[in-house]
Amino acid sequence: MLEIKNLHASVEGGREILNGVSLKVKAGEVHAIMGPNGSGKSTLAGILAGRDGYDIASGAVTYDGQDLLTMPPEERARAGIFLAFQYPVEIPGVNNMYFLRVALNAIRRAKSEPELDAGQFLKSVRAKLKLLEIEDDLLQRGVNVGFSGGEKKRNEIFQMAMLEPRLAILDETDSGLDIDALRIVANGINRLRAPDRAIVMITHYQRLLDYVVPDFVHVLSEGRIVRSGDRSLAGELEKTGYAGVGS
Amino acid sequence: MAAIKAEAVPYRDAFRANPAEPAWLVDARAKSLAAFGERGFPSRRDEAWRFTSTRPLAENFFVPVRRDLAVTANEDTDFGKLGFEGPAYRLVFANGIVRALPSKLPPGLWLGSMSQAISERPEAAEFAISEIDLGGTQPFASLNAALFADGFVFDLDEGVALDRPIEIVHLGKSALPTSIYLRNSVRIGAGSEATVIETYVGQGAYWDNVVTNIAVAEGASLTHIKLQDESREAVHFASARISLGWSARYRNFGLTLGANLSRNDIQVLLGKGAHANIAGAYLQRGDQDTTNAVVIDHAEPDATTQELFKGVLDERSHGAFLGTIRVREGAQKTDAKQTSRALLLSDRASVNIKPELAIFADDVKCTHGAAVGDLDKDALFYLRARGIGVDEARRMLIEAFLLETIDTIESPEVREHLARQVRRWLAAEKA
Ligand SMILES: Nc1ncnc2c1ncn2[C@@H]1O[C@H](COP(=O)(O)OP(=O)(O)OP(=O)(O)O)[C@@H](O)[C@H]1O
Ligand SMILES: [Mg+2]
Repeated sequence: MLEIKNLHASVEGGREILNGVSLKVKAGEVHAIMGPNGSGKSTLAGILAGRDGYDIASGAVTYDGQDLLTMPPEERARAGIFLAFQYPVEIPGVNNMYFLRVALNAIRRAKSEPELDAGQFLKSVRAKLKLLEIEDDLLQRGVNVGFSGGEKKRNEIFQMAMLEPRLAILDETDSGLDIDALRIVANGINRLRAPDRAIVMITHYQRLLDYVVPDFVHVLSEGRIVRSGDRSLAGELEKTGYAGVGS
Repeated sequence: MAAIKAEAVPYRDAFRANPAEPAWLVDARAKSLAAFGERGFPSRRDEAWRFTSTRPLAENFFVPVRRDLAVTANEDTDFGKLGFEGPAYRLVFANGIVRALPSKLPPGLWLGSMSQAISERPEAAEFAISEIDLGGTQPFASLNAALFADGFVFDLDEGVALDRPIEIVHLGKSALPTSIYLRNSVRIGAGSEATVIETYVGQGAYWDNVVTNIAVAEGASLTHIKLQDESREAVHFASARISLGWSARYRNFGLTLGANLSRNDIQVLLGKGAHANIAGAYLQRGDQDTTNAVVIDHAEPDATTQELFKGVLDERSHGAFLGTIRVREGAQKTDAKQTSRALLLSDRASVNIKPELAIFADDVKCTHGAAVGDLDKDALFYLRARGIGVDEARRMLIEAFLLETIDTIESPEVREHLARQVRRWLAAEKA
């Protein structure tokens, strides 16, 4: 589904941040990416979702065999890619519900599915709010405006549940969540697991991986994947830290 | 005889004294014409006109419209979706001459044309001519006093809360450069409440020159909305001079979409404990140019002012905001806040923002803030990352940026009416 080949990238006019990332994600798989602060995890996630401001020096990324890097971000989203932001953006003046409906209908149109009317949309929203235990009134506010850190993360997963992506990239969605919220969010993620979908979770903590058990764990360090393994690698890292890992 | 400026000559020559008018008016017109002749057009050397080009006016003589000029504007086709959809007491003007009056008015309300008021209600007409030009910066108001043919007069007795807004619709239509002069009077009696919605729309090259004198008596409240969507070849200059009595409240919101060149002058004189809320949104593209110039004069204590202006400038358009707040000696406990922001959507668009505080009292709170920027890149990416196309995402963010100004309006119907106009502008093709 997703194939990253020897990706080298830098911040526009700045130093190289990714130097040779390769990763293959197949449908049905859950991957975890771990790694020290500043190692390039969010940069990788941003490049996959289409954030601009990066120079790609070499390498390639394909999604369903298509060159991903030339697609604008909205087309990637319509093709089923979803990024849960490490830092969700506050957008005052854009109503959360309205935003979500525009987004959902844009994606449905791209899939040649009929747009949802207000009633159908509301029904779907209600069900998913309940799943993620989100208060109704959050949706009446501006996008992420005045949300607590945990509420913002939950809202990301709520959006994911609504948009039903095929490839979800979750950037530290577990950071800043209390224990109950982590369980709720993990439950939301697990419900998305399906044979035709894939999930890439960026995290610093073993805890999330206890709830959402990954098939593969990778360590990203200084812009490269220095080690890959199964879920036991996460436990090992918890004990030894990143110092002993890698080449 | 004083020298007359060259640009004033054709306007002087076009002037015809009307012996049927009362002597005081004939006299006022002659004096105003002389004042304009001496002064001529303002230039960029005039501080208040530094950012407003009057070149389109200098290049052409805009023939003053005459009462008997045939007007072919058609209310339904020309006015289209710009009208307020709720119930209203509506007056329609075509090329500056009244065409339709509301049929039934509630007690306590006098609403009619200026031409009618000159004979039937001379004190309202006199009020409209009286000079309350706070800055001495309005030569076009003098030209207006000399040449106006009509306008609207709105008088509300004491203690009346109007059940619906007054809607004033202006249709301009001209094949040749024409100048249209409207002189309006609004007087709200003590403790009364009203809303006025002015709408300007048209086709062709004309120059609307509008002067409105407004008095809001003690404890009264007036909401004053203006939607300017003139022809893209038009010039629109409007000057509103407002005086607020004790504890009076005045809310002004202007949405500027149209005209090639436009300018709103708003001058407010606040009495003790009065409150002014002056807001505006301007959206321009192509080579449109607009100025909002607001002069707030705190003459007495305990009054408050809130000002909020936001601009969206695309392509080669230009916007300007000049905001003067004057706090006179003795106007203690004045609380005034001014905010002006603009979004530049293109490298070639530009804006000038010039706040000016002149404070002569010591126990006051006055703040001003200005910011110019582009759309928030992170917000744009966030929307696009959810599948929303780049154009739609930009429109959503622009509308969100402007929302705060529209939100100063209390009536949800009026808010929605204006938000719809903003969306219509955003959806329209670029120039
Ligand atoms: N726009 C930018 N300009 C300059 N440097 C940047 C920019 N974006 C990222 N970097 C740098 O690139 C490196 C990788 O950043 P990135 O956010 O990808 O790290 P991360 O692995 O997600 O870290 P964390 O675990 O702290 O979230 C950091 O050193 C960061 O400072
Ligand atoms: Mg990160």
